[in-house]
Amino acid sequence: MNRTAIKVDALTMSYADREVLKGVDFEVQSGEVFCLLGPNGAGKTTTIEILEGFRRRTGGTVSVLGMDPQAQPARLRERIGIVLQECGFPRQARVAELIDSWRAYYTKPRDLADLLKVVELTEDRNVQVRRLSGGQRRRLDLALALAGDPDLIFLDEPTTGFDPESRRRCWAAIENLRALGKTIVLTTHYLDEAERLADRVAILQAGRIQVTGSVRQVARQAGVKTKITFTAPERVRVGTLTPPSGLEVVVRGEVATCHTDNSATTLRELLNWSAANDLGDLDDLAVETPTLEDAYLQLVTGGLN
Amino acid sequence: MSLAFRQALLEQRSFWRSAEYALFTFALPLALLLLIGSTTATGYLPGTHVEGQMIFVPSIIAFGVIVAAYVNLGAKLATLRHDGVLKRIRTTPLPATAYLSGVLGSTAATSLAITASIIAIGAFAFGAVPRIGGLPELAAGLALGVVCFGALGLALSAVARSAESASPIANASYLPLAIMSGIFDPTFPVPHWLSAAVGLFPVRALAQILQHAYTPVANAPATDWVILLGWTAAACAFTAWRFRWH
Repeated sequence: MNRTAIKVDALTMSYADREVLKGVDFEVQSGEVFCLLGPNGAGKTTTIEILEGFRRRTGGTVSVLGMDPQAQPARLRERIGIVLQECGFPRQARVAELIDSWRAYYTKPRDLADLLKVVELTEDRNVQVRRLSGGQRRRLDLALALAGDPDLIFLDEPTTGFDPESRRRCWAAIENLRALGKTIVLTTHYLDEAERLADRVAILQAGRIQVTGSVRQVARQAGVKTKITFTAPERVRVGTLTPPSGLEVVVRGEVATCHTDNSATTLRELLNWSAANDLGDLDDLAVETPTLEDAYLQLVTGGLN
Repeated sequence: MSLAFRQALLEQRSFWRSAEYALFTFALPLALLLLIGSTTATGYLPGTHVEGQMIFVPSIIAFGVIVAAYVNLGAKLATLRHDGVLKRIRTTPLPATAYLSGVLGSTAATSLAITASIIAIGAFAFGAVPRIGGLPELAAGLALGVVCFGALGLALSAVARSAESASPIANASYLPLAIMSGIFDPTFPVPHWLSAAVGLFPVRALAQILQHAYTPVANAPATDWVILLGWTAAACAFTAWRFRWH
């Protein structure tokens, strides 16, 4: 199962005199959910369109399912599914009928009933497309992308503009796909979405991949520290006792905060200090591991907060 | 080929499902046929040996082909592009040529259905029947007409920058030509220079070929075929150059 689905090496892309991609490298393994993150204008869409075979690259090598997308776009499209942003449907179509007509475009389509089930549209199979809600349309998008039973699926901002309930249903559908062993490349602006769905993320900024790996690895590479908080003991607040030297403890009101690269060592030090000073267990002691959002902001904005 | 055929069937199904759209695509030429037929004096056109119905019935056939193949196809593709449907089609393995051939095939089917209705009404209501010897001309003229105006429809959808602008562009381009070409009134007086200019466009060329299929007296020089072929080639080249999927 651990084969490479996508391999990108030194990918460059220029429009006229503007260099959008300046040497992008990454790999996506078969069966994983890979999320490409980055601010607007970073080159995410360009990268994805090159992988899908819609755009010709300026330089570098790209292999998708063992094929060069710009050399074999038609053969590649037999095996990939693409969910684009804001793509409409033919106006008169009904759900099952539309999926069925899409199945006809592929040599080995996925079963219709099965498709309806994966995207939870079985009960809406005879509804006219224009009567569907936003969330249902997005799941229909997904069904059409899955019509050819692809090995690799590209999802471009699948839940933008969704209410929480629709988001969860869309996430559930994506998790269903992962369970089926599909490889998924996701782009999103929602970092919680990436954190929830992605096995690995890559952050693309200014035409280069700044960092790649699991959410935890990315956070570590971004240099985001783990945050430890506890209620500052009375003696610390009035200034008769100082926190352990060597730790950057900041007291603000009742709360003491400490940032660290090594939470285990820091915790041990804090608890030893607490015991040595008869403070007992520190009240409300909490360890917050860095979120993807912290790492992203650290990398993309240079850590504004 | 089978992919294109299947696409044509899908397109036809969606055309007939949209009852309103289908109805008015048929209604416009048929209503004009009945209107012109009931207001044009029967008998020979002034100063000629041609009966009026032998001219206006094939003229309306040409009009029907233009509306179905040029106006409707152009507007439809512009709308599909605006809605993102064309872009979505491009994500599938369906080859672009198969898709566009399917759409053109469906347009041809619609055009032929309209033509059949006009021929039937023309025959029963106005006694206009194509010549037996004119049938190959009728068939070839219709085939080339559908291809030419279908290609122009594709070109139109490539010109129109928005879904809304496609219909006004279509109407502004063919309607004045249709009037100047005498589609609605074969006796419409046009200055000589204007007539020569109108003769360079495919509207009158198609009408004249179809008229000749009805009556040998009608003027249909071989240049009419050249003009239709020329516009077909130009429209195909323009489409290949400018057609966008999104």
